[in-house]
Amino acid sequence: MLLVAALLLLALGAGIGSTGFDSIWRLRDDPVALQIVRDIRLPRTLGAWLAGALLGLAGAVAQGLFRNPLADPYLLGSASGASMGVAVALLLFGTSPTSTQWVVRLGLTGAAFVGAVLAVLLTLTLARGVQQTLRLLLAGVIVGVVLGAVKDLISIASVDIMQALTGFMLGSTGLLGWGACGVMAALGAACLLLGWALAPLLDALALGEATARSLGLPLPAMRAALVGVLALATGAAVAQTGLIAFVGLAAPHLVRSIVKTTHARLIVLSALMGGLLLMAADLGARWLIAPQELPVGVLTAVLGGSYLLWLMHRRGARGGAA
Amino acid sequence: MKRWAMLCCAWLAAFAVQATELRDDRGVAVQLAAPPQRIVSLLPSLTESVCALGACARLVGVDRYSNWPASVRALPQTGGGIDPNVEAIVALRPDVVLLAGSSRGIDRLEALCLKVVVLEPKNHADVQRVLDKLGTLLGVRDAPAVWRSIDAAVDAAAQSLPPGVQHTRVYFEVNNGPYAAGESSFMGETLRRLGAKNIVPAALGPFPKLNPEFVVRANPDLIMVSQRSAQGMEQRPGWAGIRAVREGRICRFTPDQSDVLVRPGPRMAEAARLMAQCLADKALP
Amino acid sequence: MSALEQARATTLPALEARGVHARLGDSPVLHGIDLALAAGRWTSIVGPNGAGKSTLLKVLAGLLPHGGEVRLWGSPLAEVPRRQRAQRVAWLGQGGAGESSADDLMVHDVVMLGRLPHQRWLAAPSAADLAAVERALRSTQAWDWRARPLGQLSGGGRQRVLLARALALEAQLLLMDEPLANLDPPHQADWMDTMRALVAQGSTVVSVLHELSMALAGDALVVMAGGRVLHHGACEAPATHAALESVFDQRVQVHRVAGHWLAVPR
Repeated sequence: MLLVAALLLLALGAGIGSTGFDSIWRLRDDPVALQIVRDIRLPRTLGAWLAGALLGLAGAVAQGLFRNPLADPYLLGSASGASMGVAVALLLFGTSPTSTQWVVRLGLTGAAFVGAVLAVLLTLTLARGVQQTLRLLLAGVIVGVVLGAVKDLISIASVDIMQALTGFMLGSTGLLGWGACGVMAALGAACLLLGWALAPLLDALALGEATARSLGLPLPAMRAALVGVLALATGAAVAQTGLIAFVGLAAPHLVRSIVKTTHARLIVLSALMGGLLLMAADLGARWLIAPQELPVGVLTAVLGGSYLLWLMHRRGARGGAA
Repeated sequence: MKRWAMLCCAWLAAFAVQATELRDDRGVAVQLAAPPQRIVSLLPSLTESVCALGACARLVGVDRYSNWPASVRALPQTGGGIDPNVEAIVALRPDVVLLAGSSRGIDRLEALCLKVVVLEPKNHADVQRVLDKLGTLLGVRDAPAVWRSIDAAVDAAAQSLPPGVQHTRVYFEVNNGPYAAGESSFMGETLRRLGAKNIVPAALGPFPKLNPEFVVRANPDLIMVSQRSAQGMEQRPGWAGIRAVREGRICRFTPDQSDVLVRPGPRMAEAARLMAQCLADKALP
Repeated sequence: MSALEQARATTLPALEARGVHARLGDSPVLHGIDLALAAGRWTSIVGPNGAGKSTLLKVLAGLLPHGGEVRLWGSPLAEVPRRQRAQRVAWLGQGGAGESSADDLMVHDVVMLGRLPHQRWLAAPSAADLAAVERALRSTQAWDWRARPLGQLSGGGRQRVLLARALALEAQLLLMDEPLANLDPPHQADWMDTMRALVAQGSTVVSVLHELSMALAGDALVVMAGGRVLHHGACEAPATHAALESVFDQRVQVHRVAGHWLAVPR
């Protein structure tokens, strides 16, 4: 099962060379352009895979933690937090580029990451810990709405900010470089390891909270750690690529439709599937109306959504088993 | 509900004497008994056009983005172009409301028996057309003269450029997308009149969202961008090799300058001068 | 000494409750429970709806905050390390809501979860774990389903798998809340045999049951009503039968039929 996913990945990965608005064979005649394009296309494709993997991983954790198949990585307000972080950064940059030095150095990506993590922390404080799932979800919704309103207020202040924010919120893999890949790879590896190690908690939770506790699992600590993984993975992805919807939601479902397995495997496979999804969407975004680009979020929705629709149709036709 | 409103307005209009009539950008004929004395403008370029025709004193309300000339900043703000504050507009008892076609308030304002004129300038020819129409509306007769002086100033800016600057290949970035200003956009047209070449061909539309690879491949000689979007441009993957980036030929415009550059209005000449200044400073080796 | 002899020889009760109070939300559910459950016996907790049976079981399992003290083989439950408690006490809760999210797990994986307290962190299942899972699945006649996802089973099949999960722990103390839900009579009888076998080997079983006749097949009975323990005695004793009948307002009669005690609605 794992092999199938990996093979699909490799096949698509080999296709990175033929993307862009020029065909690859023209490239061989021009060594300088070849080098430049490798500096752009390779990190971009790899970055798309990494961001997708982070989102897929976060989606699997969210769906297991909240025992809700509709959960996605942005549940705890991280999306609104990241947008607000970017809006605040844009606002501060506008007054004077040299005024707040550390903010300038932090850059937009740093602002998005900080915003996402802060929003999750705020949600946790509001929910007073990770004990009650319902309270956590409710707090997440509240934080999301409030921070979203703050972001709207800031964006109304200037058309510039509004435009830049819209670009951020649509999500883009266009400006991913090797640095971004490095950051995502490091955080991704850490989150994957931690998530994989904590996966038994998610399995036990699926049997009920009391059962999980009776099995001797340190519930609060593990849950907090999983929320941490969720925040980090989501923040890392959003900081580099903006808000790309649907990958975190669809990847675990896509995996579950192929194979039913424990959460440990599910988390790893969701990461792979998410990477695949986003990489495919990135290729499509670049290729369909070259040299223009489609927003990559549109393509993830189309790709992931149409497959899920087909699944639903097939399941409905079969009569919906128990 | 809409039919009642139409009937009501038609009934009121029946008592008016038709003095001014013009067709706005929707093709709708708008009739006014006398040149309007109280004007609300919901588009910055329209605000500037009204003031360029000398009727600034007649403005009673503007949108929140109108900021030139400085006097309009003291006027009451009635929301944005896309999201106008209908109540505030009505409270100002305007004779006419000027706005763009993309505004959501048109139907509502008309239903409240306000005169609405839709004008949306998008390129140089539009600016002339809008000045003419506004001239008719405001009863100002020297609109053509205003246009001629603006136009001449643009030509002058073009001529002021040293000869070697012609055919510089320019990339004008509007936004972080990256969204570029193509040949068919307002900024693109200004560039063309100055004799520079735009790396974005007209076939891609006025504001295409480009693959950053395209810009690297095109290797522009000069980049024009607003200060805000310019953050981190040199760090974009592969961009360090672009000629304009390598040789530091990037013009970063302040927010005020950006406003001038992107608004298709009477400050076109100033926009041309700003671009010419940029070309003169940075285009030549 | 074998576990059996140890259990029979010790006078230490497996579970002891002293002055236990508990609340669910704002309302008090348990009022000052004092109880000593003997080791190596099968005790059932019975009573009308709302008597606090499930709450008491959860408190005894250490899953709910409570006032008073609970002791596990003489040591205060709060002082027993979590992992050790998990290894010695197996708990099976009321099924239904919340189980639906486990539909995707395979039966074998579900039962393997029962081995978590015995497994080292991040270690793969050992041969002992696999053997325990197989034993548990065979004893509930669910071994043939081991590769099926839980969601494909009927209500009864699910319950048997969840039972197997609790059995896989091979704990000395089993606390079960409504373990017979959805089970048809043959499987109910199988479960009874399994419990008897476990007790014969020295384990202690405490079950909350609605099926009074099943409860009477055990060793002891705890009769509860309104958050208090009304009677605790042997299943054979007439006093126990009287307490049972009275707690159900005499709507139930206890008869001896073919060597078994049966509770029959009047």
